[in-house]
Amino acid sequence: MNETMKKGGFKDRLKTMLNVDFRRMFWAPTVYIMLAVSLALPVLILVMTSFVGGMSATDPQTGLPTTVEAFTNVWQAIGSAGGNAMRMDLTSMCNINLLYFLVAIFVCLFVGEDFRSGYVKNLFAVRAKKLDYVLSKTIVLFVAAIGMFIFYFVGAMIGGGIAGLSFDVAAVGASVGGIVACMVSKIFFALVFVSIALTLSSVGKQRLWLSILGSLAAGMLLFTMIPMMTPLNAGAFNVILCVAGGSLFAAGLGAVSNVILNKTSLV
Amino acid sequence: MGNAIEIRNLTKSFGKKQALNGLTMSVPEGSIYGFIGENGSGKSTTEKLICGLIQPSGGEIKLWGKDYRDPEMRSKIGVLIEAPGCFPNFTVWNNMKLQAANLGLKNEDEEIRRALHLVRMDGAASNKFKNCSLGMKQRIGIAFALLGGPKLLVLDEPINGLDADGMRIMREILTDLSRRGTTILISSHILGELEKIATHYGIIRGGKMLREMTAEQLNADCPTYVALKTDEIEKTRDILQRAFGRADMDEQTGEIRVHGAPAEAIARYLYARHGIAVSEIRTAKISLEEYYINLMQEGRK
Repeated sequence: MNETMKKGGFKDRLKTMLNVDFRRMFWAPTVYIMLAVSLALPVLILVMTSFVGGMSATDPQTGLPTTVEAFTNVWQAIGSAGGNAMRMDLTSMCNINLLYFLVAIFVCLFVGEDFRSGYVKNLFAVRAKKLDYVLSKTIVLFVAAIGMFIFYFVGAMIGGGIAGLSFDVAAVGASVGGIVACMVSKIFFALVFVSIALTLSSVGKQRLWLSILGSLAAGMLLFTMIPMMTPLNAGAFNVILCVAGGSLFAAGLGAVSNVILNKTSLV
Repeated sequence: MGNAIEIRNLTKSFGKKQALNGLTMSVPEGSIYGFIGENGSGKSTTEKLICGLIQPSGGEIKLWGKDYRDPEMRSKIGVLIEAPGCFPNFTVWNNMKLQAANLGLKNEDEEIRRALHLVRMDGAASNKFKNCSLGMKQRIGIAFALLGGPKLLVLDEPINGLDADGMRIMREILTDLSRRGTTILISSHILGELEKIATHYGIIRGGKMLREMTAEQLNADCPTYVALKTDEIEKTRDILQRAFGRADMDEQTGEIRVHGAPAEAIARYLYARHGIAVSEIRTAKISLEEYYINLMQEGRK
């Protein structure tokens, strides 16, 4: 009978839950689609905007000149130096920060599928602690988010190369170290989005539309903060801020998700 | 032997709707407990509560004498609530691998093969779950529940959608598991099937336990009777009623049911005293289904 079961301590429980979640993630096509989108998105953005970029036109209604500011440097796809609040131009809107929304959608799809398929019945009938589930999901989805950011970075390099953009770091007021710190900051900031989407998915459960809409709406509120938190010339302070912020959000919202799962019906 | 499940004054409300209203029940260890009730009586709610899928509004649930939230107790449960919780685009094998990982099984492949073999689904492992028939899905659901050799099986309508052969297989599996000491809580509307395997019964209505009994008690409450047919039904019934005290008419079959006398004596009495020839006569027993329907009708009155 139960002699085949492993021990039931916290470490073992988390290990088994992680085992389930990692297998599930890599056996399903969604994560590969997300990674492919993360890779293709910057290529498309950089190549296509290089055709239309820099064009000027006159608005027929207002008579004012409008300009599509083009990407001139590949690092603009990663962020902007100086940490200014987000500007309403192409380089600010169509950069790596778009990925946060993709991460949120992926979290909702991944968690929502547990509820929609009824798999939660199998999970929670034998698993009393919901915290294992929340922790495991946070870790697994954060790993997926790291993958997506790395793929976007690679995609930006490829796209920049195809579009013939400059790779000059100094031209955008950054340094190699700053860009590394920027990427690390951005990756850890993704924990905030993972936690928000996970909490909203715990609320929405089978109602995927609710989790996705909620996550996108919450993401919009944070979207303008991202350039300030993760500038291209980031330093240790930005990294610490994002690691601390991401961890605090993960811990706080993880606790909220745990309470929600404990107090509400799972089916 | 103690109780595998012990429930005291369990209540559950969904908004204003009271689904369970002070339910008390005991499922003895090693029993096959037939959990019976009308739609909406609270069977599935009770099972979901036992499995920790929904939270009770009040009362207590104990598994082997410990709180039902105890992780050690939970690891001893196998569950099939409504449909099996599988990812439709995964193969049966991969779905089972996930559950094996969830249970932390050491010999995953061996355990999966054993469970699939038990439900006679060895050949279905490579099928995508969404391509399986309803009957196959139910059996896969049972295989899921059997992974890790649980000490308690909670099955909600597991024989729904199964063909005659599937039901027979299910019956054999459950009887075999029970023989090996597994406690089985099973709800079903197919009472004829339940009657063949259950050792204990619980009849629930309106979120309350109406009656709990063993199969022996049910047997005692369901006496045998003699069912017969003649050409003069009305007249015969009156005669038998006067002679044997109780003779009822079964509207559906057109039979007269006589209680408390052997078939031979009744036939002889009718022919010798009244010249009535019996065209058909048999000894039968009130089934669980009839018992249940009578109980429900009494309750409504």
